[in-house]
Amino acid sequence: MVSQKITVTNEQGMHMRPASVFSQAMTPFASDVKILFNGNTYDAKSVMMLMSACIKCGAEIEVQCDGADEQDALKKAIELIEAGLGD
Amino acid sequence: MKIKDLLKKEGIALNVDVADQNAAIDKLIELHNKVGNLSDAKAFKEAILARENKGSTAIGMGIAVPHGKSAAVKTAGVSAITIPAGIDYKSLDGNPSKLFFMIAAPDTAADTHLEVLSKLMTLLMDQNFANKLIEAKTPDEFIKIINEKEAEKDKEEAAKKAAAAPKAAAPAANSGGKLVGVTACPTGIAHTFMAAEALELKAKEMGVSIKVEKDGSGGAKDILTDAEIAAADAVIVACDKNIEMGRFDGKKVIITSTKEAIHNPKALIDKATSGDATVYHHTGTVAKSADSAANESAGRKAYKHLMNGVSHMLPFVIGGGILIAIAFLLDDYSIDPSNFGSNTPVAAWFKSIGGAAFGFMLPILAGFIAQSIADRPGLAVGFVGGYLASTGATFAAPGGDVPSAFLGALVAGFLGGYIVLGLRKICDKLPAALEGIKPVLIYPLVGTLLIGIVMCLINPIVGALNAWIAGVLTNMSSGSIIALGALLGAMMATDMGGPLNKAAYAFGLASLANQNETGYMIMAAIMVGGMVPPIAIALATIFFKNKFTEAERKSGPVNFIMGLSFITEGAIPFAAADPARVIPSLLVGSGVAGALSMAFKCTLMAPHGGIFVFPVVGNVAMYLVALLIGSVVGCILLGILKKNAVEA
Repeated sequence: MVSQKITVTNEQGMHMRPASVFSQAMTPFASDVKILFNGNTYDAKSVMMLMSACIKCGAEIEVQCDGADEQDALKKAIELIEAGLGD
Repeated sequence: MKIKDLLKKEGIALNVDVADQNAAIDKLIELHNKVGNLSDAKAFKEAILARENKGSTAIGMGIAVPHGKSAAVKTAGVSAITIPAGIDYKSLDGNPSKLFFMIAAPDTAADTHLEVLSKLMTLLMDQNFANKLIEAKTPDEFIKIINEKEAEKDKEEAAKKAAAAPKAAAPAANSGGKLVGVTACPTGIAHTFMAAEALELKAKEMGVSIKVEKDGSGGAKDILTDAEIAAADAVIVACDKNIEMGRFDGKKVIITSTKEAIHNPKALIDKATSGDATVYHHTGTVAKSADSAANESAGRKAYKHLMNGVSHMLPFVIGGGILIAIAFLLDDYSIDPSNFGSNTPVAAWFKSIGGAAFGFMLPILAGFIAQSIADRPGLAVGFVGGYLASTGATFAAPGGDVPSAFLGALVAGFLGGYIVLGLRKICDKLPAALEGIKPVLIYPLVGTLLIGIVMCLINPIVGALNAWIAGVLTNMSSGSIIALGALLGAMMATDMGGPLNKAAYAFGLASLANQNETGYMIMAAIMVGGMVPPIAIALATIFFKNKFTEAERKSGPVNFIMGLSFITEGAIPFAAADPARVIPSLLVGSGVAGALSMAFKCTLMAPHGGIFVFPVVGNVAMYLVALLIGSVVGCILLGILKKNAVEA
């Protein structure tokens, strides 16, 4: 299992579009991808879970990947969040 | 942030008839405008469309959440419509969208729209909740469903925060995690144990300690003790039927299906050990796996309640039925035909014990139907209702008159359950200080009182029916004897111990007292009519295996013994499980047998005994033919009418 902490920088936080961009990008990976935030764990492949997390701009989250392609999944996840999730 | 502060009654339109996405958006904006959230509807629509152009806001599961942040919004708000038929909203999962929430956020408030979105998603993740909203009839109901769900979630959140505090102070003493689980499926033969095994194996592999209680058909195995539950980090409840949930109050509980536990034990254990489960608060409401609850129709729910009653009743029917059959086997018919089964002391002993088991049949049926509906408080109320159905208590004759029997017990079970649910709703308004006395005083007292009143109202109607039928039968005995036989046979199969059955049987006894050929023929038709139902069912469990659940198939052969012993009650568990299809099948089968018995001029001088009194049946060969043909007809109809059993 690999994980990395990162700050969400897009102005509007993890609203619907970033959430769908993120979940769709994570779904092809075989690994489990989870977001740890505010003491809870959210399945990053579920757009509803991501939105329910209420991750606002400036929030620090931890991305956790577990599975065969965990390195690639984590790399992709961090790239996406750093790039502002398409916002 | 509360949804109820943002969503007004005037902002909801249900069962909207719109053709496409654009029309749906117009409708949602019109609602916003009506509530007064917008300063410029046209500009707001542009914002909404601009958002939709960047990617659909239909997130799957039939839900779409169009949203816009715009200077054209005066006050933040939500509007909602339902389109039960669904329209194409370019959803991510390709399915039509049925439930729409439109969020309007002013340009200023930075996180409003994110918070509303998050809140909505938290609620909507429960598919059952979403379905309820789609089915809501009025805006008031729609709002009520949301408020209830929101209050529930808020409570969970608060409890989670409270639970998180001490947990942070004492970091995981047992690094591997300590879990308990319960598995159960309606039949309790296969899936219960498969799910338990999957969880146990996976936990071992993951280095997590888990004890799983298996609520199978043979009773619960590896029952969790209070100490074990208290020591556990979280509870995994993988059940497709209702189980005792009160003991998990305040624990982190994951409620899921056996299917999920069998196919995906790792995810469940991960979730449980990560502390991600929500804290369960026992409200007495029946807990079901989210998976099955979400897809359950009202009919399926009723079936589940029914089966809970039937599966608990079955052992009483089997044990009692076989003992009574033994009584007939050991008895001597010639001593006193009218007292057959109790003539010798040994036979009388078996008959009494068997009778005692039979005596519990209807209370158990009604009690456990009610328990399935309203959890533990329902049991007592249903139990009493079932007993009253079996005694036939009325206001005039509290000690009992004409029993409404098996059909009355079904009514008692469902009414008893809903009475308790109703009481619970009413009691919600009581101050919290009275919480403690609800289960120990209010539910049992008021519930029992109400079911008593209801049953005493139902029973006399049944009594009147009974008297009326007796009159009809007396008139008929001068007419067509074959039609009478068909009617009597059918009556025996209709309610199996209920008013029609009793009326037919009492009529038979009265005819016996006439001591003439017609009287004996009537009794013969009645007995064959009462023997057909269990035999027809036993045959059907063999020839139409897929129409019955595994438990039903296994208890099928016992029905041969019951049928041959003229213990019609053997068919009750099957009839109770599926009355609309089983009763008509049995009715026709018994009717045919009754008519044939009359046509063959078979006679019978004993009031009871089944195959054990066949030596004294007149024209016994043709009597057997009547029995066989009736049973086969019943069996074939069962095969045609019954749907394939859903093995859970």
